[in-house]
Amino acid sequence: MNDEKPYRKVETQALLQQIAFRHGMEAMAASEEGTLAWVSSGFPVEIPVAMNVFPTYPEQAGAIIGATKIGPEVCGFAEDLGYSQELCSYARASIGSTDRPDDVAMGALPKPQALLGCNNICGTILKWYDANSEQTGAPVFLLDTPPLEAEQKPHHRAYVKQGLERLIEFLAKTFNTTLEEDRFREVSDLSSRAIKLWTQSLKACQNKPSPLNCADRFLTMAPVVSSRGMEHCTEFYEVLLAEVEDRVKQGIGAIREEKIRLLWDNIPPWFILRFFNQLAAQGVVFPADTYTHAWSGAVEGTDTDSLLDGIADIYSNVYLNKNLDAKVDKMCQLIKDFDLDGFVMFSVRSCKRYSLGQLVSKEIVTERTGVPGVVIEGDMVDSRLFNEAQIQTRVDALLEMFV
Amino acid sequence: MTGKPFGIGLDVGSTTTKGVMVDSKGSIIATHLQGTGASAASAVAHVLESLFSTSGKTSDDCRIIGTGYGRNIVDIAYKTVTEITCHSVGVNTLNPDIRLLIDVGGQDSKVIKIGSNGRPEDFELNDKCSAGTGRFLEVMARVLEVSMDDLGPLALKSKSPCTISSTCTVFAESEVIGRIGSGDSPADIAAGVHLSMASKIGSLSKRVGVATPIGVTGGVALNPAFRYYLSDILKADLWVPEIPQLTGALGAAIIAMKDNLVS
Repeated sequence: MNDEKPYRKVETQALLQQIAFRHGMEAMAASEEGTLAWVSSGFPVEIPVAMNVFPTYPEQAGAIIGATKIGPEVCGFAEDLGYSQELCSYARASIGSTDRPDDVAMGALPKPQALLGCNNICGTILKWYDANSEQTGAPVFLLDTPPLEAEQKPHHRAYVKQGLERLIEFLAKTFNTTLEEDRFREVSDLSSRAIKLWTQSLKACQNKPSPLNCADRFLTMAPVVSSRGMEHCTEFYEVLLAEVEDRVKQGIGAIREEKIRLLWDNIPPWFILRFFNQLAAQGVVFPADTYTHAWSGAVEGTDTDSLLDGIADIYSNVYLNKNLDAKVDKMCQLIKDFDLDGFVMFSVRSCKRYSLGQLVSKEIVTERTGVPGVVIEGDMVDSRLFNEAQIQTRVDALLEMFV
Repeated sequence: MTGKPFGIGLDVGSTTTKGVMVDSKGSIIATHLQGTGASAASAVAHVLESLFSTSGKTSDDCRIIGTGYGRNIVDIAYKTVTEITCHSVGVNTLNPDIRLLIDVGGQDSKVIKIGSNGRPEDFELNDKCSAGTGRFLEVMARVLEVSMDDLGPLALKSKSPCTISSTCTVFAESEVIGRIGSGDSPADIAAGVHLSMASKIGSLSKRVGVATPIGVTGGVALNPAFRYYLSDILKADLWVPEIPQLTGALGAAIIAMKDNLVS
């Protein structure tokens, strides 16, 4: 019985299946019509969407491959081609599933006509999409967003904006389409609204008990990644926010007995989301995480030029494109704002960009906030790199510090 | 009071299983240590049997806590506590001054910063590799064809330790075989092995922050060469309890007794 579980399922999650199904069908149709692009998660999709190019996400496909527990097998397909086990498991899952789509139950994407990558999330994307390009014959467009040391300088923004203008030219030429200002404004507005609604749901987790746990947010973030700028995405977050606000009003928590509130840092291990539910049984909730809080910038602007400025700003300032100081600041801020007792840093073997510097940041975050943390090691897709016994000991020891 | 008058800590490690029984004052009544072997469950049964026969008590007299990697197989335990907390509490019982504890066991090494309340404030464990653990020394002793007891004293005879990498036990083994082939003396190789391991644990300690006095526990604490090189790297004296393998089980037993008092 659901009532006996230590956690409460978010009802809105039922809509996710419909959205995922719809997204899959639309991607297939777009592929047949010649309007499908594979897109990296931090790519400014408002532009392709406004130009009637349908985006779909290899990283999200990687998460599905992970969650359906076929990560090692599909990553293995890429390893069979000669790719190293040290390569990002999203990249391996993508290359592997593209090589042998018929052997992948869920997660192989329909053939794209373009690959749109942005290096604001990692550098691997460059070579990963080059590999996908060789496999599919689709051309690659790379939007370069150099990492930010501090505040974005005007020349940095101008450089990224030039890249966006090149993107518009690339899409126009590749897909024989144009960017209409009205449509661009409409899509940007939908995207902004979805992000704002999502941000409100995230913020509501400052309440005690927290209305959402980590796993809830990792699942409900899917539409804001995959369908920003689309009507149904905004609708989804309206429904989610209503449920979240209702929980807050009624004092209903994501878990039944909230005792310890922790911060989660990094991508989750998709193949073992029950990790969070097991901790729920011990009274542990994760009201905040750095991963879902990466999507907080909304695109503002009144015309094409100002919208491009807004996009150049927002997409350069994503969490992973900033230096270690900014990441530490963000973690300390989340710990303070969400009144957290400690933190768990997941060192993801695949994601060097996210995991680099965690040992140092752990020390600094503890120094600044006074709360303890622990680093655990593993991977988001490749369960071969996840040692449950070792991880359990580390997390249990952290929890024992709160006794 | 519904509590029981004795506490037992069972520390089921990858190499050895340890048991300690204490009375309500925290004094040690009985201890037992034996190899874990292929069946941790039967090792646990043997340890319990020994504790009961030494003390003349039965399970009805005792509250039992399981700790160590095999903690979940101790069916008779009313709860489990990680070895990180248990080692802190155990060491704190024996020497309340210790602020940094380095525990080197068969399959992992941990560095724990102990707070003034005797509980861990911060900790680090070795990563997935066994190069900083007792297993590393076992493998090297086998390659050098000496017993574990003789490995440390052999290393202390060296005047010029070889350089052995500490990233991987398997690769280090091939390196040692290479050293043997090129005629390096067993003492220099053994010294290199200890130096490599001590430097790995030294950097783990520095990550947590070196605070004195420092205690060393776990089976490897018995090895004089390891202690010598670690002390040299950390530039500090090291305190080692009489039976360094038992501190985790002792801590578990103490926690069981403290629970007893509040129950």
